[in-house]
Amino acid sequence: MFRRGQSTATAYLFLAPFLISTAVFFFYAFARAIYYSFTDFNLFNNPSLIGVRPYTQVVDDPSFQRALANSLIFAVVTTTLQTIFALLMAVALNNKLRGMAFFRSAWYMPSITSSVVITLIFLWLFQQRGIANYLITQWQAYQPLVLTFLVGLVVAQVIQVLLERRSGLPARWTDPALAVVSALSSLAVTAGLVWAGVTGVREVPPFDYQYFADKWITLGGARVLSIPLLVVIIQNTFTTVPTLMLFFLAGLQNIPGALYEAADIDGATPFQKLMNVTVPNLRPVTFYVVTVGLIGTMQMFDQVAVIGSAAPQDTLITLAYYVYTNTFKAGAAPVNLAAAAAIILALIILVMVFVQRRFFPSEVR
Amino acid sequence: MTVLQAPNAPAPAARADDRWLARRRWARAGWLYAFMLVMSLFFLGPFLMGLLSSMKDDPNEYPPRLAIPQLSARYIGAAYNLGVQGGGDGWNGGLSPGRTVNFDVSVRSPQGAPQAPPTVALFPYQPVSLVSIARYAQARDFAQVQVTPTGSVGETRSYRITVRYPALTRQTGRVVTGQLTAPTDTLSARLENGQVVPVTLDTPEAQAVQFNLNQYQPVELVENGGRYYLRGPTFERTPLQVDVQRGQSLESSTLPPSDRQNFGRSLAYRNVTPGVLGYTFNNYRRAFNETTNPATGNSLFLKWVLNSFLYAFLRVIAAVVFCSLAGYALARLNFPGKNLVFIGAVLFAQMVPPQVNLISNYVLLKDLNLLNIWGLWFNGLVAAGGVFLMKQFFEGMPRELEESASIDGAGPFTTFWRVMLPQAGPALIALSITQFQGAWNDFFWPLIILRENTNFTLTVGLSNFRQLYGGQGDYGLILAGAILSAIPVIIIFVIFQRYFVDTGADSAVKG
Repeated sequence: MFRRGQSTATAYLFLAPFLISTAVFFFYAFARAIYYSFTDFNLFNNPSLIGVRPYTQVVDDPSFQRALANSLIFAVVTTTLQTIFALLMAVALNNKLRGMAFFRSAWYMPSITSSVVITLIFLWLFQQRGIANYLITQWQAYQPLVLTFLVGLVVAQVIQVLLERRSGLPARWTDPALAVVSALSSLAVTAGLVWAGVTGVREVPPFDYQYFADKWITLGGARVLSIPLLVVIIQNTFTTVPTLMLFFLAGLQNIPGALYEAADIDGATPFQKLMNVTVPNLRPVTFYVVTVGLIGTMQMFDQVAVIGSAAPQDTLITLAYYVYTNTFKAGAAPVNLAAAAAIILALIILVMVFVQRRFFPSEVR
Repeated sequence: MTVLQAPNAPAPAARADDRWLARRRWARAGWLYAFMLVMSLFFLGPFLMGLLSSMKDDPNEYPPRLAIPQLSARYIGAAYNLGVQGGGDGWNGGLSPGRTVNFDVSVRSPQGAPQAPPTVALFPYQPVSLVSIARYAQARDFAQVQVTPTGSVGETRSYRITVRYPALTRQTGRVVTGQLTAPTDTLSARLENGQVVPVTLDTPEAQAVQFNLNQYQPVELVENGGRYYLRGPTFERTPLQVDVQRGQSLESSTLPPSDRQNFGRSLAYRNVTPGVLGYTFNNYRRAFNETTNPATGNSLFLKWVLNSFLYAFLRVIAAVVFCSLAGYALARLNFPGKNLVFIGAVLFAQMVPPQVNLISNYVLLKDLNLLNIWGLWFNGLVAAGGVFLMKQFFEGMPRELEESASIDGAGPFTTFWRVMLPQAGPALIALSITQFQGAWNDFFWPLIILRENTNFTLTVGLSNFRQLYGGQGDYGLILAGAILSAIPVIIIFVIFQRYFVDTGADSAVKG
């Protein structure tokens, strides 16, 4: 359209600020990090090359091994959880109902707030005498009532569905209209039983679990997942689900309605529709969501840094935090180790993305 | 939901079928709404609980209550009245010289228990903060308390506690407020208009306190004949302690006690002259007032808020200018190396974690003496994500626009500036919002680059709040700070909701 030489010059002029800042703060920094990772740099000396020794040192460092394990477990668990929940919630939100805009905004709230704010709120919720433990205490206290209600609900539903089927109507076990009646009757029965003194609220001691302590879920003697990290997983799922949900929602709106109508004619249950229509059609979005999720979770830093000394370091240390602590260690900081760890972190992420692209290709649309 | 074709003359059986289906449809909608509400509670719950608890005296109270006195009309009204009595200001409260505050308590003393009135005293309250802050004068050293019985109904006896704060001077004239300046051999104060005046101490009481008052202490002065006489320091709060006798118990009081100790017999009222802000929004006020910078006397929290705004503003401006330029070039101009730039500088740069660049950028910015907001800004000058967003947007615009501009003889820059950019409104808003949100919530780089607590952004400052009280954290302050820092993004979200939804999702799915 424009003359070629002029166009090239203009393009690079337009790109200049971006390219310069990327060159200085990204490529130069990247190159320097690689260089440092082969030296004995400690922030105060003149770096001299020492080969791959920093890498072997890092790999031998038990706290790096823990950080690596924590990061990988965190990334895999969180990405799985957030993808599944985001998909389910997008399916729920995709119904054309009044007031969906309100729900969408309400659900989006955790996504816009900063990770620092949410971590601080979660630290408060998960104190030894905090709201989380209070809710668990309440749940334990009300367990008899809840169980009575659930049993009543199931019994009433089974009876109703059997009656409907006898009169020739093709009622499903999950029929919503019957479930309303079942729920109401079960509620009445539970209230009656409470009044009669058959069941009631239990007396339970306050649940005093300490979340931010050196507690682990072990598998065959190996420490797999620490409880503090589990809390961070819950928190991270809570924050990222709404954003990812939006991606799925946008994808859902591109699925032709005819597919669902065809499934309806074939008599598919909602679950079958989800598994056979929705999920396959969302492959490209799922691919994107998983990639973004892995990149994001592998870099998890904010939560660990804010919790800091509130939990034992082994339970929460991630690769990103390992890099940070080694760079700013008091005295001579092993910056070469930090650089090596950072390079390893970058490689893991790049490999993850590459494997994803190579073996789970997004479908051609 | 299936749509059934209604036959012209519905048979009775078909009508029953229709009704059955309609019922199911309603029921399904009902369950869906119930589910939506539960999920909304799940996503908003922590914030609502945090908001509620940020107003409590003790956010860690167990079991947590939802009905709190700080939000009941009766106690807010009482707080307003007490504020008027103590400081002449129902909103800010406080205790000023020459004022008297009446506070009522009623105590249940059953027969056989001692019938003596409770003992009352003012106690000192020194804010604990992340930096050593100016030590303010305490109400205890200037005001007197006195208990008078006011009646009894059955086993309940009522008492009136009177807090009296006599003025230190007997001069009359115009009353002005000010702050004491740095201590020298003579006392002087900075008035609200910035004027520094010498303070005259004309009574023995006033002379007795002249060495007890520190810099930044708010005071009231009387102006008379060109001289300023010290009326006395003003206090933000009047902490009162009431101890009832063994066997007695507190029945009610003008404000509920903030703290009960010693089996409910020692009652502490953190502030009996709170005003509405000091009562309901006490923790919010503390966030601003108790983070004083000892060097300047200004609020650190306020400084962090301003820093965050400055950083976010700079980021938005830079992104709008540079990202749209780069995005346009990548989307619409043909030049050698385009793919390389896109894959290398846009995609690759987004995938590599910032921790890789930490060391080099820290050393670089340190050498340039840029360990401050400006260094932070330089470091994130042109966001690769922003370039990606603008590229996607410009690719979606019709080619005809450019072609007609080109026919009219416009060069690339004119085309961009005059034709394309004015069309890019929605994309620019989306870009600005993501950049604002990103900068406001940014934590990793500010934590590394900002080394002075006056340079902090809100996220870094807030994370420092957690270290208070020996790592235990003062959760009143933390929650108030957290809620305050969430407000700007929430406001922007409410206004520009549509764009939040638009930013990533579309380009991810279609791109």
